[in-house]
Amino acid sequence: MKTRREVLQGLIVSIGGASMLAACGNAARVAVSESQSLRFFSDQELALVSRISDLLLPRTDTPGALDVNVPRFIDGLMAEWANAASKESQHRQLMDLGQMLGDDFPTLAHADAENALRELDRAAFSGNSGYGGYRALKGLITQSYFATEDGALLEQHWVAVPGRWDPCVDI
Amino acid sequence: MADFDAIVVGSGMSGGWSAKELCERGLKVLVLERGNEIVPERDYVDQMPPWEQSNLDRISEDEIARHYYKQFPGVSYAVKESNKHFWVKDDEHPYETSPGTEYDWLRGYHTAGRSIMWSRQTYRLGPQDFEANKIEGIAVDWPVRNEDIAPWYDHVEKFAGIAGNRDGLPQLPDGQFQPGFELTCAEKEFKSRVEAAFPGRNVIQARVAHITAVTEEQRALGRSNCQSRNRCHFGCTFKAYFSSLNATLPAAERTGNYTIVHNAIVQSLQYDGESNRVVGVRVIDAETMETRSYSCRVLFLNASAMASAMILLQSKSTEYPNGLANSSDQVGRNLMDHVSGAGASGLISGFENKTVFGRRPGGIYIPRYANITEHDKPYIRGFGFQGNATPLGNAGGQIAGIGRAFKESHGAAGPWRVSISAFGEQLPNPNNTVTLHPSKRDKWGNPLAVFNVGYGENERIMQAEAGKDAVAMLEAAGCTEISSRPVNLTKPGNRIHEMGSARMGRDAATSVLNGWCQAHDVPNLFITDGAFMTSSACQNPSLSYMAFSARAAHYAVDLLAQGAI
Repeated sequence: MKTRREVLQGLIVSIGGASMLAACGNAARVAVSESQSLRFFSDQELALVSRISDLLLPRTDTPGALDVNVPRFIDGLMAEWANAASKESQHRQLMDLGQMLGDDFPTLAHADAENALRELDRAAFSGNSGYGGYRALKGLITQSYFATEDGALLEQHWVAVPGRWDPCVDI
Repeated sequence: MADFDAIVVGSGMSGGWSAKELCERGLKVLVLERGNEIVPERDYVDQMPPWEQSNLDRISEDEIARHYYKQFPGVSYAVKESNKHFWVKDDEHPYETSPGTEYDWLRGYHTAGRSIMWSRQTYRLGPQDFEANKIEGIAVDWPVRNEDIAPWYDHVEKFAGIAGNRDGLPQLPDGQFQPGFELTCAEKEFKSRVEAAFPGRNVIQARVAHITAVTEEQRALGRSNCQSRNRCHFGCTFKAYFSSLNATLPAAERTGNYTIVHNAIVQSLQYDGESNRVVGVRVIDAETMETRSYSCRVLFLNASAMASAMILLQSKSTEYPNGLANSSDQVGRNLMDHVSGAGASGLISGFENKTVFGRRPGGIYIPRYANITEHDKPYIRGFGFQGNATPLGNAGGQIAGIGRAFKESHGAAGPWRVSISAFGEQLPNPNNTVTLHPSKRDKWGNPLAVFNVGYGENERIMQAEAGKDAVAMLEAAGCTEISSRPVNLTKPGNRIHEMGSARMGRDAATSVLNGWCQAHDVPNLFITDGAFMTSSACQNPSLSYMAFSARAAHYAVDLLAQGAI
């Protein structure tokens, strides 16, 4: 029996996706322009969210969160989806998060920023309260990443038309 | 000469069946649909990939507050930005509730009604369900028994396409099934452990209205096998799941006897006291506000249990001053839904190196065992559990870690989670009502609905016990990290299984319809949506609406042929 990855790769190639696989790690594939002005985040907030996004979901053999413009996607989502209360709450949570990580977090050397975020993440997932804002942002970054074409196809192995149900597949 | 032999009010789950069967028996049929036309090629959005959805397919919070303040909280799992056109805007279709009560009236006004948006779990009622009222002295006796309706379940199952396994359980009769969706490896283990620990309980495949071995009849309607995409709430280009739009309405249309008019909101049924017959329908056009009438020889109400009762209550005459066919005063009473709230989830180990391929439409079902195989309960009737055991997944980002390890963990091996939720029977209670608001009207001049619905002690005790049972079964299955939610009962109406508002019975003094869904008072009036249900059982009811609609349609045609109506 084929593994899920083998099945997926076969499917991608069969639907003309060879070039898609070859394109991994190249340009982002979302319709958000870098030059577009911000609609929700301040410059400082964008820098914070961008740094966190990059550290959470870096470029590996597949594109990272920055490659697919996750921070700009969230900027648009917050502008269009959120109501006034949610917007205010998001700004407040980012302010708190910025204080927890320190003002210089966006410009820290990579290893230092990684250590700071790892420490925060560990605390947030150790049953401590007070990290709701971080966990919510982590969720939003992750969901947004997987909702992009690269995130869905290359990382989530999303298949538009599975065509069958296999209830038990070896990984 | 009437405009049409038959008029069917409503094109949804039951109206589609009424139309199909009446057309196929040669009647000229008019279907009146209050909503707009849905054209699959234009309006289904099932082919949209995640990256083409706006804002993670979330409806904006301001828009929810403005238009979907009942629909979205009621069914947030199904109401999305891309398919919001399948759900009514609450501000355009308001309703009221009596002080101290709540009601979720969750609707879609368009071709095929809620048969487009349903969750497709499909079960027969069992012999016990038709007998319980009589045995327990609750409400009134069903004028129908299992053997009366079983052939009609066969009839509709063959046409609709039901995927399921033949489990041989007397309380949940098998039907004309196409191959079911096999249980996951964790579900098989869960089944084995639960059935060993509780010999009277069974864990079976959910039975769902999905084609898995397409028949020639289904293929001729443009239908094909389920592709395991789990995009059903967005329509189905493959027409693999049953809906009126995918199946019964096209079947009616190909007879050449079918006409459908959209945007036709029924104001009242026209009644002739001399002949004691419904003679037509008065409608208002939802867009132009013009009123007009259509005449007919026989009328089928399939507007939904709530709307059908309201139409009767709006149709007053000298003979029926409290609403047409309402000499029993039972129209708009005995509202039922199913009650949920109890459930549990937990992790099941041993499958960390396995996953699934495809996205099937159902999971597991634990048929009712309370007061069937176990008789030690502090309540009557019972409940079924719906659920699944699938890889936990972590796309929500709610796991620890950052960087490459975090990113790659999303495609890696992981734990599996079992989750089950109870669907319980709600007993009929004449004080659970829908009535017409005395003064408030919608923009078409029809009175607003006022709901006064609450649960009784039996439902409350049953759900509390179901919650304990859920935990006990997960424990017996060796689950860890079991979380049992507090048993907060779902709001009445939330399960969208509207039933009982014009119940069947043997006595015209205490029921609205006879065993053929024919009004006791007015012989050419039939109601075959959920209104006829004398009790709710605990099974998802759509299949019963289908079977009773088909049976009533054939009976009506026979009566017409005999000149009896």
